Amino acid sequence: MGEMEKLRKEAESLKDQITAARKAVQDLTLQDHTSGTSVVGRVQLKIRKTLRGHLSKIYAMHWGGDTKLCVSASQDGKLIVWDTCTTNKVHAIPLKSSWVMTCAYAPSGNMVACGGLDNMCSIYNLKGKDGNVKVMRELAAHTGYLSSCRFISDSEIITSSGDCTCCLWDIETGTQKTIFAGHLGDCMSLGMAPDFNTFISGACDFTAKLWDIRDGQCRQTFAGHESDINAIGFFPNGNAIITGSDDASLKLFDLRADQELMTFQDSSIMCGVTSLAPSFSGRLLLAGYDDFNCNVWDTLKAERVGSLAGHDNRVSCMGVTGDGMACCTGSWDSFLKIWN
Amino acid sequence: MSGSTENEELPATQTGHKGVIHDWRRFKLESEDHDSIPPNKRELLRQMSNPKSRNEDKQEKVNRKMSMQEYEMIQEEDENCLRNYRKQCMQEMHERLSFGPTFDTVFELESGEAFLEVIEKEHCLTLVVVHIYDDGIKGCDALNNCLTCLAAEYPSVKFCRIRASATGAGERFSDDVLPTLLVYKAGELLGNFMCVTKHMNEEFFATDVENFLNEYGLLPEKEFAACPDEVENADVE
Repeated sequence: MGEMEKLRKEAESLKDQITAARKAVQDLTLQDHTSGTSVVGRVQLKIRKTLRGHLSKIYAMHWGGDTKLCVSASQDGKLIVWDTCTTNKVHAIPLKSSWVMTCAYAPSGNMVACGGLDNMCSIYNLKGKDGNVKVMRELAAHTGYLSSCRFISDSEIITSSGDCTCCLWDIETGTQKTIFAGHLGDCMSLGMAPDFNTFISGACDFTAKLWDIRDGQCRQTFAGHESDINAIGFFPNGNAIITGSDDASLKLFDLRADQELMTFQDSSIMCGVTSLAPSFSGRLLLAGYDDFNCNVWDTLKAERVGSLAGHDNRVSCMGVTGDGMACCTGSWDSFLKIWN
Repeated sequence: MSGSTENEELPATQTGHKGVIHDWRRFKLESEDHDSIPPNKRELLRQMSNPKSRNEDKQEKVNRKMSMQEYEMIQEEDENCLRNYRKQCMQEMHERLSFGPTFDTVFELESGEAFLEVIEKEHCLTLVVVHIYDDGIKGCDALNNCLTCLAAEYPSVKFCRIRASATGAGERFSDDVLPTLLVYKAGELLGNFMCVTKHMNEEFFATDVENFLNEYGLLPEKEFAACPDEVENADVE
């Protein structure tokens, strides 16, 4: 038997062992376990505020740590920081490139970052001495579009890119500290663990990976989706992850059991999931779809319990605050709405 | 899977990162001068935009959303071209979503079958608002009048009303949950407001009902979004 053949057989046998190990710990399905749980009932959220100021489709938004401020990025080439209570614009930052795919607010509130088809992650200092917002760093090294970025602190940020890698950067020096390679397709989305020790990435190779930030290793890989994973996020307690895919479904994977617990799909939904956000308790899951619709799912029962932006499908992106008090949706008509 | 069951009304890849890539490709193909992009590059953009033609390339082990040649095409863009493109995008979306039948009155539904018919058979873009009422119940008359006003102001929404006794499910709509407002679109229940008048004052008008429905994002926007020609607020540089 040739060398390649031997290795192939070994890989197959390892895969079988993993599948068997996963099956062995699967003593119960989530659905059976929660069959006795009471239903959540219809969820009907109300619009509390409308944020007006952008001139074009909202591509991305992210809440700040204080849950009062948020940042949004639009096709009009601007990054706007909003005070969602007063609906005032705190900062309006012009961008060099209008093809922005992601934006992020640092937990400290001192910086925001964004990136897109320019392949770079631009960091802006909001607390400059003279009150002006300036570009602090341009993190350039990715050879593909910047799909997502999330701050660990004011000195470190993680990015995911269309070049199939994710990267940990030192913001001070503007250099790459760690490159996380392993995905076989464009990395579309990343999610930070609540303890900031690990992060997850979803890619166009239909898998999600859990990475250890300090040693750069991929700890776990989750397969199951039948198409690109566009959106990913941690379940609030950090023990599970949720993925949204072009196969029109969302999946809940448990980190400790190392397997899929639930799939959220409906035969009437035929377009891909492009954004997702769990509620604070995790009982509800908001999912944004490619046709601008936004559904609210009961996480435990995998049933749809509501829908946002009922009339015109308008939701192009969304996010839930850290304390779960509100959610924000961005639309193709340039408005952002705050709901709860 | 993406693009294989395409919705006739909306093209695929509108939102998320692929939405940005899709917008950029359209911009390159439609907005810029023909001369600035050589024909072979235009052909590449056209091919990459069509999800069906790309499926043949799945022989490759690595699943890439943008080709190296496209990355090379990304450059500083003309602000005027961009501005026109954005206006065009917004206009198209508004037109696409206002296409559909229009109405100007409140329709009286005579039976449970008529009720089901209106929920299931209306155009998938038409919002259907059904008022379940009964004679003698407080608020029903006033609500009917309000809806008649709104029916004239929102021609793309189909307002209907039906007597609780005519629904065939009279027991479900007992006096204490009336008036009830149900909102449907494409056969799906979007809003269910029992005893809807409890959310409003003793005396309420069409604008109160309008505001109530708007709070849940259920009525179409009356205003066209920010005009791109508006002078922007002073930027912090």
